[in-house]
Amino acid sequence: MSSLRGWKPWALAAAVLACGSLALVARNDYLLQVLFRIVLFAGLGLAWNLVGGFAGQLSLGHAAFFGAGAYGFALLSAASTPRWVALFLAAVVAAAFAGIIGRIVFRLRGPYFTLATIAFAEVLRLSVTNLKLTGGAIGLSTPALFSGRSTWGMLYLSAIALAVTAFVINVYVARSRFGYYLMAIREDEETASAVGIDTASYKLRSLLISAFLTALGGALYGSAFQFIVPDSVLTIDISLQMAIVTMLGGAGTLYGPVVGAIMLLGAAEVFKNQFQESHLLVYGILIVLVVLFLPEGVVGGLQRRFGGR
Amino acid sequence: MIVFFQACLNGLLTGALYALIGMGLALIFGVMRIVNFAHGAFLMVGMYVSYVLFDHFGIDPYLGFIAAGLFLFLFGQLIYRFLIRPVRDRSDFMQILMTTGIALILTDGAQLIFGADYHQVNIPLVNRTLRFGAFAATAASLLSFVIATVLIAGLYLFVTRSLTGQALRAIAQNIEVAQLVGIDVTRIQGLSFCLGIALAGIAGGLLLPALYLFPSVGDDYTLKAFVMVVLGGMGSIEGAALGGLLLGVSESLTSLYLGNQWALAVDFAVFLVVLSLKPSGILGRQRT
Amino acid sequence: MTTPLLELRNVSRRFGGLSAVKNVAFAVGNGEILFLIGPNGAGKTTVFNLVSGFLHPDEGSIHLEGRDISGVAPHEAARLGIGRTFQLVKPLSGLTVRENVMLGAFMHTASADRAAAEAGEILTFLQMEHLAAQPARGLPLAVLKRLELARALATRPKLILLDEIVSGLTSGEAVTLAGLIQRLPERGVSAVGGVEHMMQVVMKIAHRLVVLDHGVKIAEGKPADVVRLPAVIEAYLGPKYRELAQ
Repeated sequence: MSSLRGWKPWALAAAVLACGSLALVARNDYLLQVLFRIVLFAGLGLAWNLVGGFAGQLSLGHAAFFGAGAYGFALLSAASTPRWVALFLAAVVAAAFAGIIGRIVFRLRGPYFTLATIAFAEVLRLSVTNLKLTGGAIGLSTPALFSGRSTWGMLYLSAIALAVTAFVINVYVARSRFGYYLMAIREDEETASAVGIDTASYKLRSLLISAFLTALGGALYGSAFQFIVPDSVLTIDISLQMAIVTMLGGAGTLYGPVVGAIMLLGAAEVFKNQFQESHLLVYGILIVLVVLFLPEGVVGGLQRRFGGR
Repeated sequence: MIVFFQACLNGLLTGALYALIGMGLALIFGVMRIVNFAHGAFLMVGMYVSYVLFDHFGIDPYLGFIAAGLFLFLFGQLIYRFLIRPVRDRSDFMQILMTTGIALILTDGAQLIFGADYHQVNIPLVNRTLRFGAFAATAASLLSFVIATVLIAGLYLFVTRSLTGQALRAIAQNIEVAQLVGIDVTRIQGLSFCLGIALAGIAGGLLLPALYLFPSVGDDYTLKAFVMVVLGGMGSIEGAALGGLLLGVSESLTSLYLGNQWALAVDFAVFLVVLSLKPSGILGRQRT
Repeated sequence: MTTPLLELRNVSRRFGGLSAVKNVAFAVGNGEILFLIGPNGAGKTTVFNLVSGFLHPDEGSIHLEGRDISGVAPHEAARLGIGRTFQLVKPLSGLTVRENVMLGAFMHTASADRAAAEAGEILTFLQMEHLAAQPARGLPLAVLKRLELARALATRPKLILLDEIVSGLTSGEAVTLAGLIQRLPERGVSAVGGVEHMMQVVMKIAHRLVVLDHGVKIAEGKPADVVRLPAVIEAYLGPKYRELAQ
């Protein structure tokens, strides 16, 4: 089990501070936007990691929670809820939504589970697109959480806060009984039951936490761009990106999602022109390569090579 | 009342094409236990092949579908050899990821090659309507129905009567025993995969006159194919065909009473209901 | 008349048209080691699945210390005190030996440190402490069988089900493992094992045997007695040998 003792917490804290200070140093709004995206997806990857990494449940429908967070935030704010309250309330609603979906979806095995997660997200997207309340295909405007010249700096710091929260939760889970139980479920559900693990209950718990964090990310994203449409926050692209970021870095590891986010989104930024046109193609190739040659992801592969966890 | 039956008729006509798609997945998922999330993408490839033949060489899709099927059969050999076989024995998770990756490559590849524009194929047959008493059907849909039915019958005979078909069923039932009696499992599995995606491609070719063509057109069909396999029962190729017909009718009725945009939602609801109530499907057997 | 620890009362379970287990009844007392004997398909694994909650009986009932537990979920059965090993060993290969055992220990403590300590104690009892930090992947079968046992023991069961626990082992390995099983009652754990053949080791450590044939109990009693019963010999060797017993 990964232990976070000795020099590691200090090194991590230092790294976080360094990242945070970029907000002060960087004058360029565009650069901050890029950093915002990278850190946001590191946080989202860490959120997905709880379900897809530790519990081993391949959910490709997390966009449902991302979008629920974004739309929840927009709708609640429109109903005069104070912005920061709306942010957290939206995440709570998303978690409740996850509770309902989870009960249905976790009864299914393997591919049926994954298909059901995809289908739920799709149905949500279709519903949002077809309902007037949610602005239909035209979308909704989302209030900004920050204003003034340092908006992007503040957004970037908020994303760091989210990512750090997700990371700390991952660390706690990894060392606790909860984490062991999730890993047992990942390896073999029957054996897990035989040692007294209520698999349905634990899977659901991991989903609730994951959905809450994902929704916070969605709301933050919504407030950053101040306008949301179903095709930006509820598409399977978002679900895939969360999964790929984690798989590429190493599902089930602590640093994997972070490394994956830096690699994937960093590369997307560097190769922006080609990527924009065909980013799905690159995602597809990456997935195929990872499955064939690096199924444990970058961090997972390194851990295996050099021992220790 | 007539409207209801007309919708059922339309549903059956489309359902036969769906049956091809479902049977294709049943071959892959049922026989090989490969979770093929790229099934819809292969259908899309078949559609584009037929489109290219029509657009550049004037070949009618009702002939071009054969080429689509052949192309996918051969293409499948490559995909099977290099991408599917390595994940054959790995977890569902990995297979889903791999086939999702393939789907992304195919879909975005199509977009790169053909652009994101919608294409449409206009054939005179589509506009000719035949009437039977109070009911009507376009000549095109009747033709594709006939073709699909012939193929379904052919496939059924192949699977039940031919030696290869029986080997297929043997592998679907119990792979170890099949190996013990000397069946070349790898070769038959490869054949099964290629046949499966060829069927998806053929269905694509036959659907070309009826749908708008664009790179993501196949995305919904993967889910639909799995619904058919679930409806019909794991391991049952006939079941998937039946599932296809049922799904066609269900979608047609949904379009009639709720509107087109809810078709996918209803598919999904059917999927969940069947999995909750009768997981082994309508024609399925218990998995040993 | 004390309540038996485990009691099966006329339990039946069918699959499709086939009776896997029919009207099976037997009881296990505290501190007993009982073995189910029967060839493959006789119903041993079905009985284990029924007792541990993985299957529910179609007829009859199963009682643990007098309380009806037919139809509980597997994790509930475990929490009620039924541990089990599986015929096909299932090491959780992403974890180390110690972590595997900790999973069982977690049933009674939420603290990783205490779970690790308990795991250590059990590994020592089973003479495996030197393997604690090894990843479970790739270990030899004899070790994996013992790991199954260790993990189940960590849940502090009242009764442990040992499905084919000695099969696939060399006779030396089987003797060692049997010796450890024999010591389970000292720890307050009773055991029900299942084997295909009447192995010598089983004869030595079993207090009683129950013989199953095609889902039906055909004999029950002390090993030495059961082995000589005509019905049992017939089930194993065929009707021709029935006379040998007379």
